[in-house]
Amino acid sequence: MQLNFAAREVTIKLVYYGPALSGKTTNLKALHQIVKDESRGRLMTLETKDDRTLFFDMLPLTFKAGEEGGPASHGMSMRLKVFTVPGQVLHSSTRRLVLQGADGVAFIADSQVAQTENNAAAFLDLRDNVKEMGRSIKDLPLIIQFNKRDMPNVRKDAEIEQLAQKGKEPVFTASAVNGEGVLESFFGLLYLTWQRLDEEHQLASKLGIRPDQFLTMAARKLGHQGDVGTLLAACVGGRLLPRAGKAR
Amino acid sequence: MTADPRSTPDVTELAIDGLLRLEDLVDRTALTELTKSFFTLFGIPVRIYSNDGLLLADASNEHEVCAYVNTTGGGRKACTETVRGVRTSELEDATNEVVHTCFTGNVYRVVPLEYDSRRIGRIILGPYAPPSLTSVPQTLLDVDKGIEKGRALTLLGKVPRAKPETITRIGNHLKAALDLILFSGHKSLLTSQMHLLSVRESYRELQEKNAKLQEAYDRLKELDRLKSNFLATVSHELRTPLTSIIGYSEMLSEGIAGELSGEQAEFVKTIHEKGEQLLGLIKGLLDLSKLESGTMSMRRRTIVIKEVLDEVLSTLTPIARKKGVELRLDVEGVSTELRADPERLRQVFINLVDNALKFTPQGGSVTMRARMVSSSSDGEEDSGFALMAPALSKIEVRVMDTGIGIPAHERAKVFDPFYQVDSSSTREYGGTGLGLSIVKRLVEAHGGTVGIEGNEPRGTVFVVRLPPASLASGRPPAMG
Repeated sequence: MQLNFAAREVTIKLVYYGPALSGKTTNLKALHQIVKDESRGRLMTLETKDDRTLFFDMLPLTFKAGEEGGPASHGMSMRLKVFTVPGQVLHSSTRRLVLQGADGVAFIADSQVAQTENNAAAFLDLRDNVKEMGRSIKDLPLIIQFNKRDMPNVRKDAEIEQLAQKGKEPVFTASAVNGEGVLESFFGLLYLTWQRLDEEHQLASKLGIRPDQFLTMAARKLGHQGDVGTLLAACVGGRLLPRAGKAR
Repeated sequence: MTADPRSTPDVTELAIDGLLRLEDLVDRTALTELTKSFFTLFGIPVRIYSNDGLLLADASNEHEVCAYVNTTGGGRKACTETVRGVRTSELEDATNEVVHTCFTGNVYRVVPLEYDSRRIGRIILGPYAPPSLTSVPQTLLDVDKGIEKGRALTLLGKVPRAKPETITRIGNHLKAALDLILFSGHKSLLTSQMHLLSVRESYRELQEKNAKLQEAYDRLKELDRLKSNFLATVSHELRTPLTSIIGYSEMLSEGIAGELSGEQAEFVKTIHEKGEQLLGLIKGLLDLSKLESGTMSMRRRTIVIKEVLDEVLSTLTPIARKKGVELRLDVEGVSTELRADPERLRQVFINLVDNALKFTPQGGSVTMRARMVSSSSDGEEDSGFALMAPALSKIEVRVMDTGIGIPAHERAKVFDPFYQVDSSSTREYGGTGLGLSIVKRLVEAHGGTVGIEGNEPRGTVFVVRLPPASLASGRPPAMG
């Protein structure tokens, strides 16, 4: 995160990680479609001719903080930079570079049963790369999205829920190609990330924005009409909400 | 947390939110061409400034009225003042376009340029005449007494006229075109940055791996040296008691310790034979370890190959005759001298011929043929033949047999110590599996090469190439 009081800017970096062809770029494209015009920049994609991500994709989302927080945050620019990494195994060094300085990571897994091993390998790759950067995956805000729910031969909902209940990372299901589950995962990640940044940098006292206020504001500014709580409720397992009595 | 995102981007990290400057994202010449085409199309002067007030592109002709005003002292001063205001005025809001009115009654439109939600520069359109300008304004007459009203009115009439909404449309169009250029520029900047960083990252990774490989290589080399040392020591230590075994068994069989019965003599003979065989093996191992550690002493002198091959022929003819195999030597016309240890070379060819005899059935033949050959005959074009041929000439000895042959895929391996094409052949033909590896190392110690070819329709050809004395290094001449 970059917090610049002089320029009145907060910049947050979110990274979509996962195995090749799991739908990271599709998530970003769907997000780009859903977000309001004035809050989104152009989606920057660096693709090869067969639509594989070569270096990364980047979607800048920007909004001005409104009346929700204290006066310190009013009118402040919230700059979210959402990146994807190239999933193919050979782009390992590029993945590490994109991952540098990430405030939160969404792991996009492929729900197809045949992809189980690829998902696990990509997760180990993430863990190694995070470790190499001198950080621990345990301390990194991380959500897991089981994408491609629309495909045949996918892991059953009940099974995913059961797995999710046992794990600590919040788990979402999605069909990014149809735009389903994309916002839920994104706001889940944003919420988790802001909570962590709040703990580390006392944003609630510096900016006067509590995590729940931030999320409501972000959802409204990015053009989501409904209740943001409903989006978070789509989480099928893991720990998304702060432990009782901590945040308030 | 980074203190200030507006500082210079750190090149070791992908600058996710570094400050982008208009002048870094666009090519000024191309930007000037773009603004000129707008000027040609709409007749309104266009200038583009960076955030720091740097003029990046300018497409304008000085209006006649401006030139006229500038001839007066007061006019020149007022004009400078106006232009500075247009260039540096505060632009509060991103979408807010500012209209600056000049003292001549003409106006400028200042359009803020934004990229990635940040101010990056400004477009200045004008001066142009608003529709309301129909007479010479008092402000123009006030700047200098020398200004004539009639002349000013004529010249003001020549300034292009435009409605505010037209200017807004032109501004928006130019902004959209610029935004595309900025996006493409930004994308290229990130791509090249990423490219550079990935190359650096891959290089770092390779360096790390190389260091590990080097470490492993050094360790192996040390192990190899230890192995050779060990082999030399063990061989030497084994030889000492073995000499006693051979000596005493020899004395026993000669009857020095009394007559032996037939069976006793038979047993002692076997002990003696096997002792000799073991000694041969140990000598081989010792040679091999000396060759590997580079401690084999060579007594080189100038010889011709015929000397060596004649000796080989006379040594092995009895064995060949006993086996019913014909042994031939063809060494006509090869009188080129070479620097070699004749004892070691003899060892090489005895080994090769003995081997050939061993694997050639009765009625077959083994031939040693020596020739001079030029170049390594590796099929390369004979370019510069006159120059290269003498430098590449070699003495070639081919040992050809009509035996069981060696399959093509096994040929490279037969020079490995203890390797036998078929382990069952060890029992059938005897041998330790050390001979050929010693041959190879001895030939290489002479700067030569040894290889295997098939002998159609059956059999094997061992090809030994040795450098003549004039090319003692054994290598083709180096460039330089």
